[in-house]
Amino acid sequence: MDIILQIIVSGLLIGFVYSLIAIGLTLIYGVMDIVNFAHGAFLMLGMFTAYWLNQLFNFDPLLSLPISIIAIYLLGWLSYKFVVNKVLNAPPVAQIFVTFGLMVFLENLALFLWSPDFRIIKDTFVSGDFNIGEIMFNIPKLIAALGSVLITGAIFWFMSKTRTGRALKATAINRDAAKLMGINTDKMFALAWGIGGGAVGAAGALLTNFYYIFPTVGATFNLLAFVTVALGGFGSIQGALVAGLLIGIIENLAGVFIGPAFKYAVVFAIFILVIVIRPNGLMGGK
Amino acid sequence: MAPLLTVENVTKEFSGIVANKDVNFEINEGEIVSLIGPNGAGKTTMFSMIAGALSPSSGSIVFNGEEISKKQAFEICHLGIARTFQVVRVLKQMTVLENVIVGALSRTNSVKIARGEAENILKVTGLYLKKDYLGKNLTLADMKRLEVAKALATKPKLLLLDEVMAGLTPVETNEAVELLREIHGMGITLFIVEHVMEAIMPVSDRIIVLDAGKKIAEGSPEEVVNDERVIKAYLGDRYHARS
Amino acid sequence: MNKKLIFLIVAVLILFFLPLIYKASFFIHVLILIFMFAMASQAWDLVGGYTGQISFGNAIFFGIGAYTSTLLYMHWSVTPWIGMLVGGVVAVIVALIVGYPAFKLKGHYFLLATIGIGEIIRTLFLNWPAVGGAQGIFIPFEKESFWNFQFHSSKLPYYYIILTLFILTFLVSYFVEKSKLGFYFKAIREDEDAAKAMGIHTQKFKFVAFAISAFLTAITGTFYAQYLMYIDPNSVMPFMLSTQIVLVAILGGMGYLFGPLLGSLVLIPLSELTRVLLGSSGSGFHLVIYGLLIMLISMYKPAGLAGWIQEWNFNKKKAAGGEVDGTTINS
Repeated sequence: MDIILQIIVSGLLIGFVYSLIAIGLTLIYGVMDIVNFAHGAFLMLGMFTAYWLNQLFNFDPLLSLPISIIAIYLLGWLSYKFVVNKVLNAPPVAQIFVTFGLMVFLENLALFLWSPDFRIIKDTFVSGDFNIGEIMFNIPKLIAALGSVLITGAIFWFMSKTRTGRALKATAINRDAAKLMGINTDKMFALAWGIGGGAVGAAGALLTNFYYIFPTVGATFNLLAFVTVALGGFGSIQGALVAGLLIGIIENLAGVFIGPAFKYAVVFAIFILVIVIRPNGLMGGK
Repeated sequence: MAPLLTVENVTKEFSGIVANKDVNFEINEGEIVSLIGPNGAGKTTMFSMIAGALSPSSGSIVFNGEEISKKQAFEICHLGIARTFQVVRVLKQMTVLENVIVGALSRTNSVKIARGEAENILKVTGLYLKKDYLGKNLTLADMKRLEVAKALATKPKLLLLDEVMAGLTPVETNEAVELLREIHGMGITLFIVEHVMEAIMPVSDRIIVLDAGKKIAEGSPEEVVNDERVIKAYLGDRYHARS
Repeated sequence: MNKKLIFLIVAVLILFFLPLIYKASFFIHVLILIFMFAMASQAWDLVGGYTGQISFGNAIFFGIGAYTSTLLYMHWSVTPWIGMLVGGVVAVIVALIVGYPAFKLKGHYFLLATIGIGEIIRTLFLNWPAVGGAQGIFIPFEKESFWNFQFHSSKLPYYYIILTLFILTFLVSYFVEKSKLGFYFKAIREDEDAAKAMGIHTQKFKFVAFAISAFLTAITGTFYAQYLMYIDPNSVMPFMLSTQIVLVAILGGMGYLFGPLLGSLVLIPLSELTRVLLGSSGSGFHLVIYGLLIMLISMYKPAGLAGWIQEWNFNKKKAAGGEVDGTTINS
């Protein structure tokens, strides 16, 4: 029983991070129907932001967190302004591939600049474990989960309580109607890319407390984020939140009961099963 | 002689919303029958069920003596029902000729034969000079013609035309009516959904009126125009507005 | 028509004699890679470019081809030539199984499913000791012969084999494009519902496209295994290989007969050149350029190089006042 509880706890902790990553992705998709394949690369750059701030200025990842958010927010915004912007009326295939090109570009640029080596940040402010009963909590993961919850909450608050957030939501629901009501959709698209980037930048910085940093780190997270978004229903923020937690738990269950090597394979298998049975994701969505 | 198409007690629900309720009608070979009704009356849903894009929740659709309500669109096409789409569905990155060849290939495996047939159909439908245009580069009127041409190429016995005149200018509408007469002259039975009633009245043998998913009237154009319920449901405001 | 045929014959003759004139081993190696990727990409294009189902899992079929022929050879001494065909058949079977769930999905979902399935199969191979697991398999050296599909003294035989295989693949694409299949594939790509209404059993024809594609991709995989004499899941079925196959087609022009070859002619020399110029430190640099190119192509010329050339030809003809064969430009 304890092992199950432990799995659920560990799964939830990483699950919140998955949710945060997926929320960034699903926000972009919801607002403009474009899948950002470069999302994992954004995450990687968020991690490297924290890494280099640590190497050069001895910043702790928690201190780098806001900087990483801003940096990747800008990256998202720039990606929209200079790249994605150009394919809004292009054939769907071009829309799929443009961010794919961006992913290939960013990931390999990082490989070229920083070599494929695995790096870690040593002596982070948060480290170690503690126990409640038989259940072990890894503190960096707990912090990552808490940070993700906070930022997810902030995004929810922004989307529902602020004027701009509601305009963003309106754009997601109906682009043309939003335009007619005087919403500058171009600005909204850019904002979605910014927030999407910011979310994944935050996740990146939080991950550096306990995860290896390397140029292709985004690939796995990218796939997991897609799976999360698809399970939650493309464009659904609530869906992404729930699906992220589910995937965290499934991954941990599979890791323990089937074998660590198969944990992602199991996640993908469940993903395929679900989308074949329920093509709109678990939560419906648009 | 048995009717070409028999729709019997057909009902279609979409998660609780009833689009069609116990609809019954028949279409005989060689007729031109029109299906009219206000927006949301369930006309396109009825078409989609006959063409196999949707299947009815209950009821039966018999074509040429064969039950087709559970069949898929491509099977129904092979049996001899072709349709056009209300929102044009031309194959955008293919030429006009290629669009029609695709239809013609439903009756042959030879591209050469299909090409010959497609060229003939383009001549009939007045698109021959534009045969090398990409589908996406056509005007709306030409796209609607191409919709008809694609459908004709599958050699249907029954052709379902979904609002092929909506959005056309009066001149284009007249041309479209001419085209309908020509197609009918080839021995093809026509079943037409149309909003432009003035154009469709004189060519129709019979008119079926749907309102809120139910059939409320059926008869010759004169009978339908004078039917109380029809005037109330649909024609009323339209005709009053005009006079 | 005749002009085209002459052009093709001359092109094939040049390709035949080229490595006899310029014999540098590296040069031949690059040529081999060009045709290998052009072949895999041409096979992919039947599903991706013509039928419009963007698969990011074609490396599975490549890997199945490589593994089938290699395992048959290792355990039962079956010549890789027969192994190649068996691999093709196995790939077709896998394609039909994979297609069953995948073709229920559209657009992004299909794409994600193919990535997911690819990763699942790669994971299985990585953890399957009977097929060498993560260590992979070294194909034992045998006497150099056509039957053994091994040549040690020169790369030339490999070149002629892959050239022939590519030409066959090209011909398959050519005949598909000219036949009913080609029309049906494109109709499915353009609008599935409209295709159904015109009598096309869309599900069946997607399977047909996928099966042909899988068969040809598996053959490429066997060739690769025999050429490098070593296979492991991370070299014959990684996501990056699926990606490369797709990139070649996008750059060259999806849905154009010459697209994959054009893409391969640009991308492969580029990657080999950067590898030479920058050494091992720049081993990934060509991918940086790939990424940029893909972005630029998507932004400005989504029809790829082949589409660009067609447009350019069209404009030239128009400028010359000659007869223009229709407005068949893809913008």
